[in-house]
Amino acid sequence: MNLRARFALLWVAVVVGLSLLAPILSRYPPGQPVGAPLASPSSAMLLGADELGRDLWTRLVLGGRSSLSASALAAVITVILGIAAGLVAAVGGRQIDVVVVFLVNAALAIPGLLLALLLVAGIGPGLPAVILAVGFGGAPGFARLARQAFLQGQTATYISAAFALGAGKLQVALAHLLPNARAQLLPLAGTYFAWSFLGTTTLTFLGLGGDPANPEWGSMLNVGRSHLFDAPHLVLLPGLAIALTILAVHSLAGALAQPGPPTH
Amino acid sequence: MWAAATIAFFALRLAGGDPTQSLVAQGLASAEQAAALRAELGLDAPLLDQYARFLVGLIQGNLGESLYTRRPVVTTIAEQLPSTLALAAGAIVVSLLIGTSLGIVAGWRPETLLGRAADAISAMSTGIPVAVAGILALLAAAAAARVVPSVLFLTRAGNVALPAVTLGFATSGALARAVQAGLADSRSAPFIVAARARGIPPGWRLLWHALRPALPVAVSLAALQAAFLLSGTVVTETVFSRPGLGRLLVSSILQGDFPVVQGLVVLAAILYTTTQAIADGLAVILDPRLGETS
Amino acid sequence: MRRRVFLLGISAALVAALAGGCAPAETARGTLTYGLTLSPTGIDPHLNASAELGIPLSSVYDTLVFQDPETGEFLPGLASSWSVSDDGLDYTFNLRPGVRFHDGSAFDAGAVVANIDYVMSPDNHSQKAVFMLGPLESVEAVDDRTVVIHLNEPFPPLLDSLSQVYLGMASPEALETWGPAEYQFHQVGTGPFRFVEYVPNDHLTLERNPEYAWGPEIYRNKTARVERVIFRFYVDVAARSLALENGDADVLGEIPIHESRRLETSGEFVVYPVPIPGQPMQFLFNTLKAPTDDLSVRLALLTALDRAGIVDTVFGSTSPVANGPLSASNWGSSAERLPDHDPRRADRLLTEAGWTVSGGVRAKDGEPLRLTIVAPIWGNNPEVAQLMQAAWEILGAQVELRVVPSFGELKESQESGEYHVIGINFFGTDPDLLRPMFASDGIYNWTGYQDPLLDDLLVRGGSSSTSQAEREAIYGQVSQIVINQVLIVPVRDYVNLVVANRRVQGLRFAYAGWFPLLIDLQLAS
Repeated sequence: MNLRARFALLWVAVVVGLSLLAPILSRYPPGQPVGAPLASPSSAMLLGADELGRDLWTRLVLGGRSSLSASALAAVITVILGIAAGLVAAVGGRQIDVVVVFLVNAALAIPGLLLALLLVAGIGPGLPAVILAVGFGGAPGFARLARQAFLQGQTATYISAAFALGAGKLQVALAHLLPNARAQLLPLAGTYFAWSFLGTTTLTFLGLGGDPANPEWGSMLNVGRSHLFDAPHLVLLPGLAIALTILAVHSLAGALAQPGPPTH
Repeated sequence: MWAAATIAFFALRLAGGDPTQSLVAQGLASAEQAAALRAELGLDAPLLDQYARFLVGLIQGNLGESLYTRRPVVTTIAEQLPSTLALAAGAIVVSLLIGTSLGIVAGWRPETLLGRAADAISAMSTGIPVAVAGILALLAAAAAARVVPSVLFLTRAGNVALPAVTLGFATSGALARAVQAGLADSRSAPFIVAARARGIPPGWRLLWHALRPALPVAVSLAALQAAFLLSGTVVTETVFSRPGLGRLLVSSILQGDFPVVQGLVVLAAILYTTTQAIADGLAVILDPRLGETS
Repeated sequence: MRRRVFLLGISAALVAALAGGCAPAETARGTLTYGLTLSPTGIDPHLNASAELGIPLSSVYDTLVFQDPETGEFLPGLASSWSVSDDGLDYTFNLRPGVRFHDGSAFDAGAVVANIDYVMSPDNHSQKAVFMLGPLESVEAVDDRTVVIHLNEPFPPLLDSLSQVYLGMASPEALETWGPAEYQFHQVGTGPFRFVEYVPNDHLTLERNPEYAWGPEIYRNKTARVERVIFRFYVDVAARSLALENGDADVLGEIPIHESRRLETSGEFVVYPVPIPGQPMQFLFNTLKAPTDDLSVRLALLTALDRAGIVDTVFGSTSPVANGPLSASNWGSSAERLPDHDPRRADRLLTEAGWTVSGGVRAKDGEPLRLTIVAPIWGNNPEVAQLMQAAWEILGAQVELRVVPSFGELKESQESGEYHVIGINFFGTDPDLLRPMFASDGIYNWTGYQDPLLDDLLVRGGSSSTSQAEREAIYGQVSQIVINQVLIVPVRDYVNLVVANRRVQGLRFAYAGWFPLLIDLQLAS
C-alpha cells in the first residue's frame, strides 16, 4: 500500500470514527446557540461558534455523520439496484439483456448528477429525497459496469458446469456470479461511494437538503458562504472535509483495484 | 437521445403529481383556469397520449411553455444559453490546457519531482468538488486583492476567468490521467524504441510521436467529461452567482416549473450524446487503427 | 490637476444651483448598475406582486399621485388635482396635459381607463394591483382630461394605492399590442426612464427619457442625471458584498449587517439604512391547529423567545425589535407591551395548560408537543426560525423547520394547513394592509383567527370615511387584539441596508421604502 493510500485510510478512519462517536464527542445540542455569534475558539468551544452562536465543532462532527450516512445509504441503493440489474441481464437470457442494456444506456444519456437533480425535482427537496435521488442517479452507471463483470464471470467453465448440474438461474447468480465478481465490484462500490458523497453534498450545497438546523457538510458549505470574507473557516472546514473525504475514498478504491505490490 | 427525453418525461410525471394544482394554491390561476390549463397542456389525457404529444412537440422543436411565465421554454432557455456557453467554452479550453500539460509532465517523466507533483494535482482535480474549488478560488482572489486591488475584477459576474478556471480544473483530471496512461504505455512501445534507434532525439519530437496514440483515448474521455461539465455548470454558476442554464435549472426545480426542467434535461441529453458522437468520429480520425479494427 | 479643479468648480456650481432651487443646466452621463436581490417570476407591475419589480419600474411609470418621501403627504403627479365626494365614493382626477408615453402616444383619461381595465380583467390574474383598488365599481373618462373612479363603498387607502407603481400608467397601445404574457418585456410608461430590455435572471436596462418634463415636485431634477441604469440580480446573499467591491454593482440592497459594517469601514461605500413601512418581519401562529389553537400555548411560546437577542444575532443593532403588527415608523402603529422573555414563565404556562415534561419530552395526554415552522428562504427568515426552533426545543417541544424557496411554495404549505408557525409579512404605507391578514375572510388570514370585533374594527378602519385620528385609534385597538390573542411573533421592524459606492450621489427613496428615486441619482467622476 503506497503512501497516498495510507493517508487516505487514516483520513477515512478518522472521519468514520468521529462520525460514529459524534453523539459522544459533540458537546452541545447542534441547534442550540451557546455563545456569541462567530465567537472565537475557546476551551468551551473548540472551533468557536457559527453565525448563530452554535458550537462549530459539534456541528462539524454531527454534519459529517449525516453526510456520511446519507451518502452511504445512497451508495447502498446504487449498488443494490446496479447489481440487481447487472445480474438480471447476465443470467436472464439474450432478450432481457437487450432490454436492460437499452434502459441503462437511455438513463446514461442523462449525466448522473442531472438525473439526481431531476429526481429531486420530482420528489421535492429534503434529505431523504436527496438520498433516493443520488442512489437512483448512480445506478445506471453501476449497472453497466456490474453487467460487464458478471458477463466475464459467466464464461468460466464452472458456471456452465453449475448450469449443467441443474442449478437455477437465481442460484447461479447469487452463489457463483456474485462472489466471483467481488474483486471487481468492491473497488467499484468504493468509487460509487465517493460519487454518492459528491452527489449528496452537491445537492445539499444547492439548497435541496431540507431543515437547515440539522448540520450537514454540504448545507454548511452553502450557508457559510454569506460569511465567506469575515469568517472563512465556516466554509473552509466543511469544504476541506468534503474534498479530503472524496480524495481519500478515490485513493482507497484505486488501491483496492490494484492489490499488487506498489509500482515503485 | 429519445430515450433520455423519455426518462425526463416519465421521471417528472410519475413523481410530480399535478403541476397546475400548485398554481391554484399560489393564486396564479383559478380552479377553472387550472382545468383549462390542464386541458391545454394535455394533462388530463392518458399518460401515453401526453407522451406522444410531447414527442411530436420535441420533433418540431417545441418544448412547451413555462408554467409560471407562460413563455415558450425554448425562448427561456435561449436567453440563458450565451452565458453558459461562454463558461463552458472557457472551461473546455482551460481543461484541455491543464489536462494535457499535467498528463504530459506526469506521464513523460513520472519519476521526477515535477512528474509526481503533476500526478498529485490531477488526482486533486478529480477529488475536489466544484463547489469547494470555486469557494477557494473566490477566497484566493479576495486575498490577492488585498495586495493588488485590481485583481478583484476577476470576481465580476461578467468575467468568465475564475469560473472557467474552476470548472476547467475540475474536469481536467480525467484527461490528464488518460494522457498520462497513454504516454506511459507508448514510452515502451516498439515504435518509440524504433524511433530512438533511428536517431530521433528524445524531447519534443519524440514526445509528439509518443503522444499521438494517447490522443484518441484522451478525446473520447474529454467527451465523457462533457457530462461532468454539464452538471458542473450548475454548481459553478451558483458559487459565482452567474446567470445561466444551471441557475435556471435549480430555480425551476425549486419552483416546480416542470416544462422548463424537462426542456433543460432534454437539451443536456442532446448535447451529451452529440459530443460523444463527435468524439467517437474524432478518435477514428486521430488514430486510423481504430477505424480498421471496428 | 487643472481639470480636476475645473470639475470641482462645476459641481460646486451645481450644488449652488440646486440649493438655490432653480433648475441647473442638466447634463446626464454615465451608466449606473443597481443590484436587485430577487429574481421575480414576472415583472408586470399591474399583474405581479413583487416589491423588487418596483425598484426599476417606479422610474418607468408615473402615478396619478405621489407621496412625499418624508411626510407621506399626497402630491400631484399625472393628476394635477383631485377631489373626493362627501360620501367618499367618487374620486375625480384632473389630468395633467402634455404628457407623452415613451412610445409617443399621449396620456389622457382614456389611458387611465385602459390601465384600470387591464388590472381588473379577470383573465389577467393581477396578484396585487387588483386588490389595491378595493371596492372599485367603475372608472369613467368624463372628458380627455378628467377621470372619475367610482367605489362601491368608501376606501381611504385609494390614494395610497394610486401612488404606487402597481397602478402606474402604461401606454394602452403597448398593453394592447403585447398582451399580458409579453407586455412585461416591452413596458411603456411616462416616467423619467424608458424601459429598454429585460432578460430574466440576467439584467434589466433603463435609459434616460430626455423628454421628461412632468415630474412631481418630489423629484429634484427635471430629467435624469445618468444615461442608463442597468439592474442585475444578486439573489445569493453571499455574492452581494463582493459585487459592490469588484465594481459590478454601484448600489445594492439587503446587505447583511456584518458585510455592511465591513464595507462602510473600507471608506469606499456609504450605507443607507432604509426603514420599510408596513408590517414587521413576523411569524403567524396557526390558531386552527392544536396545540397552537390554545392561547396559553401561544403565549408560552412567545414568552420563551428572546426576541431582542434573536434580532441582535441576526440583524445586529441596526434593526429595531418589533412590538406589534405594524412597524413603529408606520402611522397607526402603537407600541404594544409584549411579554418579556421569561423561560420559567413559559414553562409554567405550558405546565398549567397540561403540557408536562417527563424525560425531556413535553407531552399532554401522552401526545408529545410537536410544532412545525414554515419559513420562507428570503430576508433571514431561516436564521430567525432556527433560533425560535432552538428556544422551543429547550421547552421540550419537538420542532420541525421547513424552509420554502418561493412565495408559491409558502402559499402551498399554508393551504395544506400543516403548520403551526409561518413567516409572512406585507409592506405598504396604509394600515389597511392588516385587513387581508387579520379579517376573518381575509385572503391572507393564515392565523385562522376569527373575531367579529376585529372584523368590525378592520372594516371601519379601512372603509369608513372616518378621520385620520379615528383611524389611528382603530388600528391601535387592532394591534392590541393581535397582541393579546398572541396571533403573531413580531421580530423586527424592517430596515433595508442599502450600500452604495461613494461615487453614487443623491440616493433617496420613496415613502414606501424600497423604491429609489432614480431621477435624482448621479455619478461623481
